[in-house]
Amino acid sequence: MSRSTTIQAPGLSSYLKSLRSTPVEASIEHFISLLKRRQIRNSRPCALATTQLLIQVVKEFKGKDADKLLRRIRDVGRRLIAAQPREMVVGNIVRRVLGLIREIKDDDADADSNAVNSDAGSPTPHHDSLNRPHLASSISTFSPLRHGALPPMDTTSGPESLADSGELPHRPALFSSHTSYAPLGTSLFGLFSQPDTPSNTSTPTGRHSPTGKHTMTASALERIGESTILKRTNIKAEVLEGMNELQDELEQSDDQIAANALDHIHSNEIILTHTASTSVQKFLLAAAKKRKFTVVHAEAHPNDHDAVHATILTGKKRDAEVISEEAGDRWKPLTAAGITVVLIPDSHVFAIMARVNKVILATHSVLANGGLVAAAGARVIASAAKVHRTPVVVVTGVYKLSPVYPFDIDELIEYGDAGNVVPYDDGDFVDKVDVDNPLYDYVPPELVDLYVTNLGGHAPSYLYRIVADHYHPDDINLSGAVERDEK
Amino acid sequence: MATETPLPDEFDVVAVYHRLLANDHDLTMPVAAIEALVEAMATSSTQTVSETMRNLEKHTNTLKSSVANPISLSAGTDLFQRYLVTTLNRPSAGVASPSGAGDFDAIRNHLLSNGRLFAERAKASRNKIASFGRNLVRDGATVLTNGGSRVVAALLRSVAETGSVRFKVVYVLDSDADSQEGEWSGTAIVAMLRARGIPVATIPDSAVAYSLGKIDIVIVGAEGVVENGGIISRLGTYQIGLLAKAKQKPFYVVAESHKFVKLFPLNQYDLPIKQRILDFKVGKEGELVSTENESQGGYTVEDEGVDFSDSGVSEGKTRRKCSGSSEDPVDYTPPNLISGILTESGVLTPSAVSEELIKIWF
Repeated sequence: MSRSTTIQAPGLSSYLKSLRSTPVEASIEHFISLLKRRQIRNSRPCALATTQLLIQVVKEFKGKDADKLLRRIRDVGRRLIAAQPREMVVGNIVRRVLGLIREIKDDDADADSNAVNSDAGSPTPHHDSLNRPHLASSISTFSPLRHGALPPMDTTSGPESLADSGELPHRPALFSSHTSYAPLGTSLFGLFSQPDTPSNTSTPTGRHSPTGKHTMTASALERIGESTILKRTNIKAEVLEGMNELQDELEQSDDQIAANALDHIHSNEIILTHTASTSVQKFLLAAAKKRKFTVVHAEAHPNDHDAVHATILTGKKRDAEVISEEAGDRWKPLTAAGITVVLIPDSHVFAIMARVNKVILATHSVLANGGLVAAAGARVIASAAKVHRTPVVVVTGVYKLSPVYPFDIDELIEYGDAGNVVPYDDGDFVDKVDVDNPLYDYVPPELVDLYVTNLGGHAPSYLYRIVADHYHPDDINLSGAVERDEK
Repeated sequence: MATETPLPDEFDVVAVYHRLLANDHDLTMPVAAIEALVEAMATSSTQTVSETMRNLEKHTNTLKSSVANPISLSAGTDLFQRYLVTTLNRPSAGVASPSGAGDFDAIRNHLLSNGRLFAERAKASRNKIASFGRNLVRDGATVLTNGGSRVVAALLRSVAETGSVRFKVVYVLDSDADSQEGEWSGTAIVAMLRARGIPVATIPDSAVAYSLGKIDIVIVGAEGVVENGGIISRLGTYQIGLLAKAKQKPFYVVAESHKFVKLFPLNQYDLPIKQRILDFKVGKEGELVSTENESQGGYTVEDEGVDFSDSGVSEGKTRRKCSGSSEDPVDYTPPNLISGILTESGVLTPSAVSEELIKIWF
């Protein structure tokens, strides 16, 4: 890491500080170079920086057109992802923001058609504020936002949405009105959907044809025009509000995860964990308040062992910038909470597994098939746990959940500084031997028993559902989506 | 069914179905069934919803009973029926169609005027799936596949046509089932791939385990994708799945989402079709004499399941063919053997299938 003249090397906190005073374009470039130089790395710092940067991008955005905003965010997003494709969290945050904008756009369209249909002028601002907060934090199957986040649902959730729309005029059925980008054939009824070309009035109402399409009479159009303009003016404010919630989610996710700790850690259990993860540390600390157990900590040599040692001693990573911003008091080591901590080298994992009751793993990112990419050594642990039938629990924030399907696992693994394994001053050795230092492991879904996220516990096979709840299908392939837009 | 009034003009839905299939080799059974039903709707002059539904049910039943293996077909007819039910149940959304009758006519017109479109959509979704293939088949990979699946063929062809991916194919060819002619038979697909410069090895079913060591990925098609995420596919797919699992090879299914069918088979023998794959036999009086020595101790059954006699082999061959028109025998591959199901909307995990089905049925 290059030392600048100031005491602190460029990193997350200095970047966040610079964001407000720097023009957006310069900030983007700065972030890209930080990503490329790995000066901002790992999921949480990347997520925080991306969110903050995108907030600046939205603030700076001048137009009122949601589509233009979408395109702008996507362009920025693509540059960030290209800078460091293995930090999948960056892409996740970009997709979340895109989904947010789409949803607000849909809400507007819905509100419009709703106003026209019912002539009641339903209190849309109220309806927005009522529903939006659920976006990130709730995956209730009955949440109307489910439909917003997941177009495949909207066309097929017939009977259920009907029942709802009886009492609440602005509810689910409305969400079906994003024909403008509804991907073809994402639902089983895709086969029957209306042709994409605008149909004339004699063409019947297919399910996919939203209420909006055939209400386009002249008078209705006028009213739509008015309300659209009214709504569009505050789209930016709404997006920013949503992004602040996203920011809150990032900050709170560890605590929300930790709230589940007592369900998973019981008295006198022996817990094995790996790497110095803040999420896991908080999880264990939350359980330590009420219960006594033993933690076996694999040290994750050679990339993370310093941080592990520091975590065991002081409760926080030595170089953790993010954490230093928060109140220091909350960080106490597990040992201070009366927990026995045993530090073992990674090579002892299998030997000790027979005595372990539960494995708790941190992760770098989680993939759509239920597998995960975690610090190297995770797969050894997961495999050993499988052999001993020890349950493996993965602790992760939903923001780490990526909609990317891992077709090629080798692509996901990043290789780090070989000097960590064998110091470069050991010239003889380095000359003769190839040294590899993979930073990550891919752990297939079969080896994981449970994911604990800020939304609760999920089986790996259920993750596809959470992916569908949080990301819009059009955003999954960010480069592909542009082509479709331009058509 | 007894109360049902005979149709004024007896529409031969089965003939239409077979004509559609014969005219267009790209057409899958579910889509052909949908189109046949649309044509049936066009010829009938029903005015009410319930009459239409009854009519439809009658045609569906005729169609199902006319083929030996209606699983794939019923995916199409079910989808069509559910589509009608959900659309017709939807209260007219206020402005456009104030009365239910208007809705009914509107939907009917929509279906009739767009009948041809469905087939095109189905093909479009196949092409969409094929375009995902590039993610699935990596440079230097060896792919194992079986059967005469159109989707698999389209996928492999699309990868072959990119030109940038060098891959090899091991094709499991069953001499019996694939001897039939046709654009989408296994032999035709093999020839198609070879013509595009893709090295293809053909192996019999029995060589799958032997070959798996050289395989990077298994890709199969499916006749139907059932509720728990398992698939109904040509006989032999199940054992490939089991072997792939044992060898830890990724096993992908490619199937359009209109092949999802509401069916929950508990095991191989729980399928709603009659297959005479296991055909236990005892020898006749005269033959028993020759094998008297083995059949001591009260055993009267000479062979457990497998006929070794000459007559048995020839019967086995004819049995496969005659088990119903041109249908091949199928088996059920349970979801735990499947890595992912590639549909036009992306890769689904097997557990996502039930959700898709629940969305249209409940």
